[in-house]
Amino acid sequence: MAEVRVTGRDGSERRLEASNGIALMDTLRDAGTGVEGTCGGACACGTCHVYVAQNWVDKLPPKSEDEQMMLEAIGELVEVRSTSRLSCQIQISDTLAGLALEIGPVP
Amino acid sequence: MGAITLQRLLLDSKGLERCPFPIPTGWFFVDYSDTLKPGELRNVHLFDQEWVLFRTEGGQVGLSDPYCPHLGAHLGHGGKVVGENLRCPFHHWEYDTAGFCKQIPYAKVMPPVTKKQAILRTLPMTEKYGLIWAWFDPQCEAPSWQLPHIPEMEDAGYACTRRGTWPVNTAIQEIAENGVDFAHLKFLHGAPGIPPAVVNFEKHIIDINMASGYIVGRGYGPGLNVFQFTQEGISSTMISYTQPITAERSQMNMSFRYKDYPEGSKELHISKKLVDHMIGAAEGEESAGFESVDFVVWNHKKYRPNPLLCDGDGPILQYRKWFKQFYTAADTDTLAKV
Repeated sequence: MAEVRVTGRDGSERRLEASNGIALMDTLRDAGTGVEGTCGGACACGTCHVYVAQNWVDKLPPKSEDEQMMLEAIGELVEVRSTSRLSCQIQISDTLAGLALEIGPVP
Repeated sequence: MGAITLQRLLLDSKGLERCPFPIPTGWFFVDYSDTLKPGELRNVHLFDQEWVLFRTEGGQVGLSDPYCPHLGAHLGHGGKVVGENLRCPFHHWEYDTAGFCKQIPYAKVMPPVTKKQAILRTLPMTEKYGLIWAWFDPQCEAPSWQLPHIPEMEDAGYACTRRGTWPVNTAIQEIAENGVDFAHLKFLHGAPGIPPAVVNFEKHIIDINMASGYIVGRGYGPGLNVFQFTQEGISSTMISYTQPITAERSQMNMSFRYKDYPEGSKELHISKKLVDHMIGAAEGEESAGFESVDFVVWNHKKYRPNPLLCDGDGPILQYRKWFKQFYTAADTDTLAKV
């Protein structure tokens, strides 16, 4: 279990309890943050885009080639930053307690 | 392998299968090129599954798995050829002949995987001798050899439009085994004697020379065999291209060709008689072609992985060892049964 600090697209702040072993995307989607996660974690839709807080970038597992390619693809339509991640590619564990992120724009 | 006991023979017989073989890897005939017009598509059953055969507006031929990688609609029921692509009826996703997704009409962003790789299984295709060919490999590996030049099918100076097709209830390995089973030619076909024969195996090619040049055959993998029959210096050629339909069902197809001899000539007469003799009965010949005798055996036999062979039998075991190379994805248990 990890508490995640979420800034919504409207700037609102929330704290969510994320369960270990599932993707961060599932927690964000189920909490109604606007994350859709349409493709279910296949790096095919880009609808779970988040910006993670700068101090968390290096604590997360690195991006796979597929995640990188999907981020580049949506980069043609929305702002992708160095802190951009697909939340479907982040598995929750205790080490992520306190993770801060902002729901990103999607195509 | 020691002496065979009666008990083992009995137990073997109870457990025999008709066709324990996987679908072999190789180039296989799909259909005649002139039966598929640009923009046409149809469903075909080959290699133990259904496929969608189509020709693009530009003339490229494709053979695709029927089920759309998106949500599983059958591309051959309501699908359409659009330009160079096959379009799914469900959401109009489009795929080219190599299986790449080229178009999703409503997606703002194409999934990156679509640029990286094919997402729909399609088979490598080629058209040669007026025939459409597909390379089947159970693991989707690329072709490891190419189809040969066949002068009788591709060069000027040859004639005959005769061809035939025969369904048979057995697997290709069983059909082609008769090509090295020289003793059966005397007893099943009624040849005057067991013909002397030489067989050579080299990579995917098998060469057979029977009765000192009377029949000279070359097989290219499991899906193409070219046999020349020669009498009085005149040759006719049987081009045989059998399709694996299911594990236990095959479709034999053959084209027959000879030199473009003048009408009424002795040479033409011999050429035609040789073709008659390949298939069935022919004037002045005691022995029978495959059509009249082989099917009764093929359709009812079982496969003995450990046959009892005697002197005078052909190189059956060498043939089986050679054929195993075409079961490219088979596990040890399967290979032990074939």
